[in-house]
Amino acid sequence: MWDAFGFEFVNFYLIPGLVLGCIYALGAIGITLTFGILRFANFAHGEMMMMGGYLTWTIMAIVTALFGLTLHPLVAMVPATAVVIFLFLLTDKYFYKPFRKEDTIKVVMASFGMMLIIRSAVQAIWGPNQLKFVSGIAKPNEILRDVSGSIDLMLLVPNKHIWIFLGTIVIVIALSYLLNKTRIGKAMRAVSDSPDLAHVTGIDVDQVIRATWIVGGICAMAAGVFLAMDIQLLETTMGFRMLLPMFAAAILGGIGKPYGAVFGGLVIGLAEELSAYPWIGDTPLLSPGYKTGVAFAIMVIMLIVRPQGLFKGRSF
Amino acid sequence: MKNVLFGASALAMITSGAFADVTIGNPMAMTGPIPDLNAPIAAAVDLAAKSVNEQGGMFKSGEMLNIIRADSACDPTAAVDAVTKLINVSNVAAIVGPVCSGATIAQAESVSIPAGVVTLSVSASSPAISTMEDGTDLVFRAAASDAYQGVALAELAIEKGYMDMAVSYANDDYNAAIAAVFVDAYTAAGGTVTANEAHEPSKASYRSEVATLGSTSDNLALFAYYGSGGITVMRNALETAAFSNFIGADGMLSDEVIEQIGAENMGGVTFTTSASDPTTEAYAAWSAVAEAGGVPAADPFVPNGYDAAFMMALAIEKAGTADRGAIAAALREISSAPGEIILPGEWAKAKEILAAGGDINYEGGAGNQDFDENGDVAGLFSKSEVVDGAWVAELIK
Repeated sequence: MWDAFGFEFVNFYLIPGLVLGCIYALGAIGITLTFGILRFANFAHGEMMMMGGYLTWTIMAIVTALFGLTLHPLVAMVPATAVVIFLFLLTDKYFYKPFRKEDTIKVVMASFGMMLIIRSAVQAIWGPNQLKFVSGIAKPNEILRDVSGSIDLMLLVPNKHIWIFLGTIVIVIALSYLLNKTRIGKAMRAVSDSPDLAHVTGIDVDQVIRATWIVGGICAMAAGVFLAMDIQLLETTMGFRMLLPMFAAAILGGIGKPYGAVFGGLVIGLAEELSAYPWIGDTPLLSPGYKTGVAFAIMVIMLIVRPQGLFKGRSF
Repeated sequence: MKNVLFGASALAMITSGAFADVTIGNPMAMTGPIPDLNAPIAAAVDLAAKSVNEQGGMFKSGEMLNIIRADSACDPTAAVDAVTKLINVSNVAAIVGPVCSGATIAQAESVSIPAGVVTLSVSASSPAISTMEDGTDLVFRAAASDAYQGVALAELAIEKGYMDMAVSYANDDYNAAIAAVFVDAYTAAGGTVTANEAHEPSKASYRSEVATLGSTSDNLALFAYYGSGGITVMRNALETAAFSNFIGADGMLSDEVIEQIGAENMGGVTFTTSASDPTTEAYAAWSAVAEAGGVPAADPFVPNGYDAAFMMALAIEKAGTADRGAIAAALREISSAPGEIILPGEWAKAKEILAAGGDINYEGGAGNQDFDENGDVAGLFSKSEVVDGAWVAELIK
C-alpha cells in the first residue's frame, strides 16, 4: 500500500522528526536565553511548558462550558500565555532574584525546587490523571494528500502538524525581528555577550531580565501547547520528559544563541527519529528504545568536542 | 501545675494510642502512568480496613487498623523512597502494595527484604517476582503471574486468527516480562512474530516505531502502561494506518484509553486482565461488600486490593502481634486449607475462630488466594473489548 517514492521515510520519520524538532527548538530558545542572560540552567522550564498546556486546556474547557464553543488551542493559548508570563516574573522575583548575586548553583537549586513545586501544584489542582486535550485520532490533511499524491509524493500530514510548523515559523521570525531590530532585543544580546559591559553602557539589566522571561515564557508556552496538540493529552511529567533533549539542543546550538537553539532543536528532533530508520537492512538502525540516548549522546559528544556549541555560544 | 499534669497525661494517651494501633504501609501508584487504574484499588484497600475496624478491630483490645498510604508512582525509585519511609519512619508492620511490578521488585530488593518486612502486592504480575527471593519468604502477591496471562493472550491471538503479529513493549519490568512470555507462547502455538521491539516510555511521538513495525504486520501486540506512552503508540499506529488490530494486557485497560482515542477507532482492540469467576460464593460476598462500600467490584485488580489488605489483617490477627517476623508464616496459614472458609467482609467471624484457636482459610473475591511456595496465587483472566463506548469484559475459559 505504501508505494509512493520515499513515502515511509518522509511521512513516518522525517515529518515526525521535524515536529519534535520544532517543539524542542521552542523550548530550547527559553533555556538558552535564561542560560545566556541570567546565567543559570533553569530546570523549571519544562514544568512551565506543562503548566502552559494545562492553562490552555482550562481556558478551552471554560469557554466550552460557558458558550458551548470549541476553541482552537492556538486561540486559547493567548490568554494562557499572559498567565504563564506572570508566573515566570513572579518566580523570578521571589525565588531567583534573591540568589542572583550568589553562586550560580544556588539559583539552579532554586529552579529545581521550583520545578517540584509547580509539578505538585498542577497535580493538586488538576489531579494526577491524564487530561484529554483533543480526543480521537488525527487524520491527514486531505488537500495536501491529494495534491502531493498527484505528483507521486504522497504527504500524510495531520492538521495539527501543519499548525505546529506554521506556529514555529511565525515565532522564530518574530523572535529574530525582536533580537535584531528592536532596542530591547539588541540589549538582550548585549547582556548575553557581556553583562558588565552592557551595564556600563547604561543598559537597564533588570528590564532585560524581564524581557528575557517574557520571550522565554512565550516560547515555553508555545512549546507546551504544541506538545499537547501533538500527543493530544496532558500529563504532569510531559514537560520534564522534554527537558533533557531541550538542554541538549541548547548546548548543541551554543549557550545564549537563540538561532543555535532552533537549529539544535531540529537536529536533535531529527536525530532521535531518524536513528530508528532501517538505514541498513530491514531492522531499525538503533532500537527505538534508545531514542532518548541519542539526544544525550549528542550532548555529551558536543560538550567534549566543542563545548561552545555550533554557533559559538558561551562555554563553561 | 494542673495544666502540666493534664498535658502530660494527654500526651501519654496519644503516645499509647499510637503504639497500640496496628499500621500497614500501603504504597500505591497514586501519581505516574496509571492513576486511573490505581484509584479504585486504593479505595478497595481502605474498604478492607473499614471492614476490620467496623467489626471489632484488631486483637482482643479492638485496636484500630491504620492504613498509611504513600505514593510509589509506579516507579522503582519512588517506590524505594516511599517504602523506606513507611518502614523506618512510620514503622509499619507490613507492606500491602505496590501496584506495579518494577516498583514491587525494587522496593523488595532494596528495602523490605533486608528489613525483614512482608510485602503483599495487590497487582504486581511480572513472572520475575516468583523467583526473586533467595532463602527468604517475604514477598507475596494477591494477583496471578503473567507467566499465565501471556499464555492466555497468545491463545486469544490465535483464536482471533492473528497468525502474524508485531510486538512492541515498554522497556520496564512488567511490560518486558509479559512480552517475553507472550512471544514464547505465541510462537509455540504456531504464530509468527514479525518484529519485536522495545520502546522508550513517555515519548512525544512513536511514529517511527509504529512505521518500522507496521511494515511487517497488521496486528500489534502492545505491552505498555496507558499513561506512559501506550495511548500515544496506539494513536500514532491508527493515524498512520500502520496497524488495525491490537491486543495487550492490564496496563492498557482503562477508560482513559477510550476517552482519548475515541470508541469509534477501537473496533480491533482486545486487552486482557486478571479477573474473578463471578459464580463463586466468595465473589458474591465480595460484590456485596464492594457495593455497600461504593467500590467498583469488577474493575481490574480491585478485588485483589481488598483481598490483600484483608489477608494482611488476618495474618496479623493470627500472629497475635504486629511483630514483623511472625507475619509471613501466619499469612500462609490464614489463606490456605485446612480451616473454616472465610469470605470477604467476614472479619468478626474470622476473629472469633482465631480467638478460639481455630484455623481459617480465606477465599477472596479475586480467587482462592492460596499461596504457592513462591508466594504466588493462581488466577483467571478476562478479555475486554469496546462495545458502545465502554469496555465489556468476558471471562476466558
